[in-house]
Amino acid sequence: MKIQTLRSKLAIAVSLVLTAGLVATGLPSAQATTSGLLPTAAQLKAWKGKTISYYFYNDSQAELDTTKAQIADFEKLTGATVKLDVIPFTNYDPTLQARLAAGNAPDVARLNNPGFYIKDALDLEKYLGRKYAAEFLKGSTLQVTHPTTKKLIGVPYDLSVNGPFINVDMFKKAGVAVPTSWNWTELVAAGKKVQKATGSEYAFAIDKTGHRVSTVMSHFGAYMVDKNQKNVLPTSKFRAEKAVKIITDLYKQDLAPRDLWVGTGTKYSSPTAIFLGQQTPIFFSGNWQVASLKKDAKFDFAAVPNPKELNGGGWPGGKFLQAFNASKTPDLAAYFVHYLADTAQMETMDKNAFWLPTRVDLVAKGVKYADRSEDMAVFQSDAAKTPAAAYGIQSVPTLTAPIYNNLRDLMTDIMGNKITVKEAIAKQIVFIDAQLATLKK
Amino acid sequence: MTNSSNTVNRRRSVITWRRRLMPYLFVAPNMLIFLTFIIWPAIRGFQISFFDSIDGRTFTPVGTGNYRAIFGDPTVAEIAKNTAIYVIFYVIISTILSIAFALIVNEQQFAKGFFRAILFLPVMLSPVVVGLIWNDVLDRKVGPLNALLEAIGGGSPGWLIEPKLGMIAVIFVGVWVHLGFYSIILLAGLQGIDRSLLEAAAMDGATRTQIIRTIILPLLKPTTLVILILATIHGFQSFDFIYTLTGGGPFGATTLIVQYIYDRAFQSPIQYGLGSAAGVILFMIIFAFTALNFLVGKKRQAI
Repeated sequence: MKIQTLRSKLAIAVSLVLTAGLVATGLPSAQATTSGLLPTAAQLKAWKGKTISYYFYNDSQAELDTTKAQIADFEKLTGATVKLDVIPFTNYDPTLQARLAAGNAPDVARLNNPGFYIKDALDLEKYLGRKYAAEFLKGSTLQVTHPTTKKLIGVPYDLSVNGPFINVDMFKKAGVAVPTSWNWTELVAAGKKVQKATGSEYAFAIDKTGHRVSTVMSHFGAYMVDKNQKNVLPTSKFRAEKAVKIITDLYKQDLAPRDLWVGTGTKYSSPTAIFLGQQTPIFFSGNWQVASLKKDAKFDFAAVPNPKELNGGGWPGGKFLQAFNASKTPDLAAYFVHYLADTAQMETMDKNAFWLPTRVDLVAKGVKYADRSEDMAVFQSDAAKTPAAAYGIQSVPTLTAPIYNNLRDLMTDIMGNKITVKEAIAKQIVFIDAQLATLKK
Repeated sequence: MTNSSNTVNRRRSVITWRRRLMPYLFVAPNMLIFLTFIIWPAIRGFQISFFDSIDGRTFTPVGTGNYRAIFGDPTVAEIAKNTAIYVIFYVIISTILSIAFALIVNEQQFAKGFFRAILFLPVMLSPVVVGLIWNDVLDRKVGPLNALLEAIGGGSPGWLIEPKLGMIAVIFVGVWVHLGFYSIILLAGLQGIDRSLLEAAAMDGATRTQIIRTIILPLLKPTTLVILILATIHGFQSFDFIYTLTGGGPFGATTLIVQYIYDRAFQSPIQYGLGSAAGVILFMIIFAFTALNFLVGKKRQAI
């Protein structure tokens, strides 16, 4: 009960902190903007009977169900048809790349890595106006702003924040208090204690991506690329070594699921099933997991604050909506993007799928989640605490994926004792330099 | 008379022409599909191997740069070694076991159809599903195989985290997937052997082992050659179930050449040209091994 009260108070407090934080970091102040733009009679006439395709993946069933309902409403509104292509996340980008190469571009896509598709993106400003970008958080629009024309080529669809979840039942059983603040040493100690007390297979698990590990690096004050597209890892390499060592040691000591990291080669893998199977008391992922965990967890779980070393907070991420310039009906595609990112539709999606909003008006107003609001408050709080330097890597949207992937693969080599942490960070510095050099070509 | 003779000749000529044309018409649809989906993409792949492309839409000519990059890549030697180990063990084990299973199933009288279906069942599963299933089965801590091994005091081997065990796991699963297919082909070969030869040998006092060694296996050579060729091709092309089983891990121990192609072409940073060049090299390797198998097999048959 005490924990619940604390969390409720936290929920109220962080909404205020989040808004204040966003303003303080130079993001646009909250201003309600026009939404619910209705199509004109001429547009309706032109769109009637037209079909557009929407390339989509979902982290939870709630996202898919809400999307289907929104599409149905959009079809009623416009008379057009939306063909929903649901693609598994594992092969999401390769499949889209292949479709684009084959001249079979979708009209609209939900993207995790918009940097891959800059050349293929539709200039949304042409259809939605120059001021449209201001409806979204400035930090979130960096990745969907054309690097040279500076025009909006996509829309931030949700803001994601990395952070840990804990199995509250296991913590209680072990007599370990649910953390309200902690550092990495305390997190590891708590994980070990709960593992020992409950006999779980592991003490900790983290998604196998460089993106998630970057959060840990950020806690220790280490970053890879700054907002000026410079390699800043050399200046924080000792901090990076500390962060990487903490994670790789957990895997080397078998306190984290080696099978899932080492045994999956170069693939992305998430230990969601391991957390759901109560094989680990701590699961480091992000807010997009809330809907799935809510649906599938047979135990009490909670999102808890990110550990704080030099910094606290999460690591920015999110998904984006992008229309493609190969669309045969670009105005309809742009309108569909506008429709999905509209205040009402985004609020519905945020509520149903436990997303964090990217619209300035929704951030100001605050999304009232029907359930798990304490968890969402924790993520919102961590979003506000995320250091500005964490957004630096978004200045190189085409390079984020290779930089994260290389970090992931180097960590695998550390776990296999093929290289030391020091060598891995040195290699990552060289790799980032080589990647940044490609920008100048 | 002349007129009717001419008419008959013309009719015969038309019939002959139709007969000549008919087989081509029958294979035409298949050839069209083959040309469209195999030959044309292969030609394009060869062409792309001389370009650099990060998106499959813009291409920069690099000459033989991609081939030089592959041969200069230190990981390629490791991948070639993995591929060689996998193919050698996979081909040998698959061939021996499929012959053994074909012989057993051929002799079986009870529930013949049932056992043949069981043997063939893995072939019908999607390789992706096969990889996922075995990934669960081989999990070190919660997999049923290790639960069984622990129960009998066999410990908990790290099938998916120890490089050598990872290779053993993918060879085992690869054999498991294809065994039924090869066995069925060999079974057809076995059933084509004239039974009077076997009966005559038995009457002459030949033992079962002697019959197998001196009659069945020599007569089964053409079918075995087909199995060897198919297994070699499958071995070199193995990817889908390995990707879902180990992802090429642990530490690259099960990364074979097709995954190298996939990673170059579809994993960030994307390099379609490099992937295509590796594909061309793989084609040449498979072609060389297939030709070698075929020629050696032919030569032995001639002897």
